[in-house]
Amino acid sequence: MAANIGANDLANAMGTSVGSRAITIRQAVIISMIANALGAVLAGGHVTNTISKGIINPQLLSAEPDKFIIGMFASLLAAGIWVNIATYLGLPVSTTHSIVGAVIGFGILSIGIANICWKKVVPIVLSWITSPVAGAVIGGGIYVFVERKILRTKDPYKASLAYSPILIFLVFVVLILSLIFKGLKNLHLNLSFMNALLISVPVAVLFGFLGKYYIKWQVKRHISANEERGYSLVESLFAQLQLLTACYVAFAHGANDVANAVGPWAAIFSAIKSKSVSLRVHVPLWMLLIGGIAVGGGLMAFGANVIKTIGENITEINPIRGFCAEFGAATTILVCSRLGLPISTTHVIVGSVVGIGIARGAGTLDLRILKNICISWLVTLPFTLLLAMLLYKILIYLIL
Amino acid sequence: MRWLLSSLFFKSPFENLQKHADKVKECAVLFKRAAELHMRGNYKEFEAITDEVARLESEADAIKRNIRNHLPRGILMPVDKFQFFQYIREQDKVMDEIEETLFWLSFKKGSILEELKEDFLNLIDLVIKPVNLLSPLVNQAKIYFKTHLDNDRNKVKAICRDIRQWEREADFVEKEIKFKIFEGISDAFLIFYLIRLTEYIGSIADHAENASDMMRAMIAR
Repeated sequence: MAANIGANDLANAMGTSVGSRAITIRQAVIISMIANALGAVLAGGHVTNTISKGIINPQLLSAEPDKFIIGMFASLLAAGIWVNIATYLGLPVSTTHSIVGAVIGFGILSIGIANICWKKVVPIVLSWITSPVAGAVIGGGIYVFVERKILRTKDPYKASLAYSPILIFLVFVVLILSLIFKGLKNLHLNLSFMNALLISVPVAVLFGFLGKYYIKWQVKRHISANEERGYSLVESLFAQLQLLTACYVAFAHGANDVANAVGPWAAIFSAIKSKSVSLRVHVPLWMLLIGGIAVGGGLMAFGANVIKTIGENITEINPIRGFCAEFGAATTILVCSRLGLPISTTHVIVGSVVGIGIARGAGTLDLRILKNICISWLVTLPFTLLLAMLLYKILIYLIL
Repeated sequence: MRWLLSSLFFKSPFENLQKHADKVKECAVLFKRAAELHMRGNYKEFEAITDEVARLESEADAIKRNIRNHLPRGILMPVDKFQFFQYIREQDKVMDEIEETLFWLSFKKGSILEELKEDFLNLIDLVIKPVNLLSPLVNQAKIYFKTHLDNDRNKVKAICRDIRQWEREADFVEKEIKFKIFEGISDAFLIFYLIRLTEYIGSIADHAENASDMMRAMIAR
């Protein structure tokens, strides 16, 4: 499962940077492997905790650890089956939603409907609305800014040079804040927002300056090779900015999705090992590392091909749009999680692309896909819920 | 997610619009040759070229239908869909008018008087110029919708201006020819035939200008 995630999702993050020739395929594979492994090891644990204990309280099952093990196994199986069916049908489902639905299903059967923490389900339902809308507003807004301040000027190349330190600064502020609040949560830094700002702003300013000189150096190389100050130069600047956001996507992916694959496994492992159901399932570091390595292996095995296909196929996502979409998504995720709004990464990116489309910045978009997204979101919870119930019953019947 | 992003993007209709514009350009070249052959009295070759134009027109029609039939509700374009349809309608009408003109020419052999031949050839030259600019217009617009750079937008605007300019000149020559027809010819039947011919030829440039007006509206902001 982890290898599969690696080949597809990560390759997607890097595809546009490779497509615009900002980096080579080999570089993309290495960068995403490192960022992903870092994400999984440094930031993975937190998410895993939520999945195993947030919705049902394992203590209610402490008398029957076997049931808990079977239940978690049934949940993992149900979610896995649904994600595969959905991928086959071309429905973009959220892995997190699938696991949550499956855990609810097993919870209803084992501890009863009244003992399920429904408070955790409400945010998921809310996220169906908040993720795309927030993504669209922020992604579209960033595109409008780039268009007004860079593309619509007499010398867009000069304008992009002037604005790129500011953009680099903003990207770093968002990325560092995201790292502090989302990524490195299990380091228990417990920083206030102001303190986090105090850390991120100077670092971002530093990188903004470094970026300025790096770009100037790049420009000198480019200008000597290519006298014309054309669109391709502006594009190459954005391709490099996009690389930053792509690294963030890989990191966030390591933090979230590796945990998804490993999480239920960790719960089962812990229950088997201690023969009891603990309140707090701690995912051992080595398990996350294995998850991260599996994703990396998937990338090594299939990544290059997938990245190549994506880079060539999604020509509609040029670096400018790609940057706006990804930076918009990263900002949305940061802002929404600070405000306590629930969001789903994939759908924020879709919302962001559509937002850029509404701002007339994207190519021709097929909004009918949104209908599929809505259907898949609505179907995921009830389907995995019922499937997990069924699998739980079958497994209980077979084993106990 | 990979599936999601690649499926979110729909094939741009501008590729087909370019193919359509190229067909129009091909037709314009043939149109001039056909008119010259007609004036020289080589009606056999004239007929052959007219058939060729009719074939191109039906091919272009198929492209137009393809574009229209594959832009259902729910497709979000970087331009207003209504304006886009208007544009392709006008671009298609350029071809229709070329075909109509050739048909009209074929109805009466030896109809263009010797003293008017040069004026007509001049008018045809002027009419073809804006038509030939439609293909670069679409190409430049395609670039602009990709880059959204102000510079590329100005290039589209410049082509629109050129098209308007040529249409105005064609209008002027059209009026002059009409004066000459009414002054020099007394046969009412021939006057009707030639006036109608002049108007047919003039309307080719009119539709090219209408198309460029629509393009100007599409890139407006």
